[in-house]
Amino acid sequence: MFEQQLFNGLTLGLIYALIAVGYTMVYGVIELINFAHGEVYMLGAFLCITFIQALGVPLFPAMVLAMACCAGIGVLIDQIAYKPLRKAPRLAALITAIGVSIFLQNIAMIIWGSRPVPFTRSAVPAAFSETAFTLGSVNVSGLQVFIYALTIAMMIGLTLIINKTRIGTAMRALAQNATAAALMGINVNRVISFTFALGSGLGAVAGILVGMYYNTLSATMGYNAGVKAFAAAVLGGIGSVPGAMLGGVVLGVAETLGAGYVSSQYRDGLGYAVMIAVILLRPSGLLGKSVGQKA
Amino acid sequence: MTGNKTALKLLGLAALLAFPVLPFSSEYVMHVAVLIMVYAVLAMGLNVLPGFCNLLDLGYVGFYGIGAYTAGILALNHNVSFWLIVPGAIALGALCGMLRGAPTLRLSGDYFAIVTFGFTELVVLFLTNEIWLTRGPLGLPGIPPIALSLEFLGIDWRYDFLSEIPYYYLGLAMVGAVYVVMCRIEDSRLGRAWLAIKEDPLAAASCGINLMAYKTVAFAFSAGVGALAGCFMAQWSMFLAPDVFKFWESFLVLCMIVLGGLGNINGAIVGAVVLIALGEVLRVLLPKLGLPAETRFLVYGLIMILIMRFKPGGFFPTIAATSKKSRLILDLKARLQAERAG
Repeated sequence: MFEQQLFNGLTLGLIYALIAVGYTMVYGVIELINFAHGEVYMLGAFLCITFIQALGVPLFPAMVLAMACCAGIGVLIDQIAYKPLRKAPRLAALITAIGVSIFLQNIAMIIWGSRPVPFTRSAVPAAFSETAFTLGSVNVSGLQVFIYALTIAMMIGLTLIINKTRIGTAMRALAQNATAAALMGINVNRVISFTFALGSGLGAVAGILVGMYYNTLSATMGYNAGVKAFAAAVLGGIGSVPGAMLGGVVLGVAETLGAGYVSSQYRDGLGYAVMIAVILLRPSGLLGKSVGQKA
Repeated sequence: MTGNKTALKLLGLAALLAFPVLPFSSEYVMHVAVLIMVYAVLAMGLNVLPGFCNLLDLGYVGFYGIGAYTAGILALNHNVSFWLIVPGAIALGALCGMLRGAPTLRLSGDYFAIVTFGFTELVVLFLTNEIWLTRGPLGLPGIPPIALSLEFLGIDWRYDFLSEIPYYYLGLAMVGAVYVVMCRIEDSRLGRAWLAIKEDPLAAASCGINLMAYKTVAFAFSAGVGALAGCFMAQWSMFLAPDVFKFWESFLVLCMIVLGGLGNINGAIVGAVVLIALGEVLRVLLPKLGLPAETRFLVYGLIMILIMRFKPGGFFPTIAATSKKSRLILDLKARLQAERAG
């Protein structure tokens, strides 16, 4: 039983990690808590089932399409809402972020209705719902294998992009010092757009995976996922990409075990409790830089 | 000039007092008016953190819920009088406010925003799951109305608030009291310290302002006002359910103060009037367009984005020291002007 819980927690944790990475990258680059990220995750899931249902696209191309759309949405959010406020006080940008989040949530509610919707079962390969293999006492479903393979591949890809490519280097430079990076000839706006696109694309994948895993989508799913993924990002150290990955996994495991052994009603509150504990005991997170007293 | 202004204010007050007896005021209009007052108090209370201290609070409605459930449970199960509940609920709210803010005292404002973001959710979870105390999702029906009573003096006289009209006057008194307290605080040593922290925490600290102490007072004060609004609401609506205190409400209150201008007490009240009235209009209008009534938040979200983009100070931006009446500031101003002239 414990092994099964642990395994399920890891599956969930990997998905949280995908969302948390989007928060942490944007925070690293422009120091803004992008509250709308949870909504991008929700839109990813809804766009995917819309492509499947309305256009008859098979699952995997639909995922890629949804990812591309969400990357575009992420860039648009930044261009329309955040970019004009780069030089404005922090509070203005934060308030705009929360406004965008509510706005998108309601757009989704108008398009797809306010009731939860099931994921299109017929599009999901039958192998996903069967047990792929059994490891000791742990049953691993095909979907879980898929989630593991996809999320780990994406994180390896992301790490490579950040560490090995020119644009990744530019992102890290921007995170350290935006002015100096601009002086070195880095096109700051392009790098910020790229960061939003990358983070939103990963968020969309996470949304689709959660939709398949729980077989339910709702317009308000972004809020809870947002709070949790943010907790994961804080747990790992806000601004640190490996930290967000680790934080997501730890949070997912903690949440599943907490729901199994402590209290299932407070499942959603657990991420919050973890976040408060981290902020109290180690505000820099597991892998983050130290954060001093700041304004 | 000042005579005119005073006359105008008195006229406005008279209009407010006479409002319930005017011909066009129906039970519905009174209901909306009382709702506006509840939200005006919430908006003024929330305003303390983002407006005076530059800290974004996204979970303010949590305190509203704490106050409301405190009043609901005490009045329903233990038959405690409203007048005794209010101080207790304010104290409880203030305590929760301090506890919520405490972890972020040494950190940047972003961390405060994060902590508050999930706070409403936590309160809703508590209210939903602690069924022994709150009856969970069933809600608390049949909360007794507010009553004026002299029974504790042995005099057999009792007046129950059964229609909207007594709530209207009580609400007016509540808004007035909170307004006066807010204005006095903004103009006091405490308010000036908050504004200094808002402008530049480092400079404020080096001027001898104890950041942690002043922030803690702000957390407690803001939360206490929220709990007060909650008490009033519980015994006015006579029914409570956890769903009333979801994140959306926090957003709505935040939208009010953004609209009115962060930090402006008058603006907070105007924001409450405008957005509640707008909400009532949209509640009727949206179903006619075939949209669910919840989508009115689309409009609020849009308002928030547009204001931050084009009018970041809101419609009534605060300008430092214009609303101040303190002798100290006025003297300083006069001296500066004299020096500049000379």
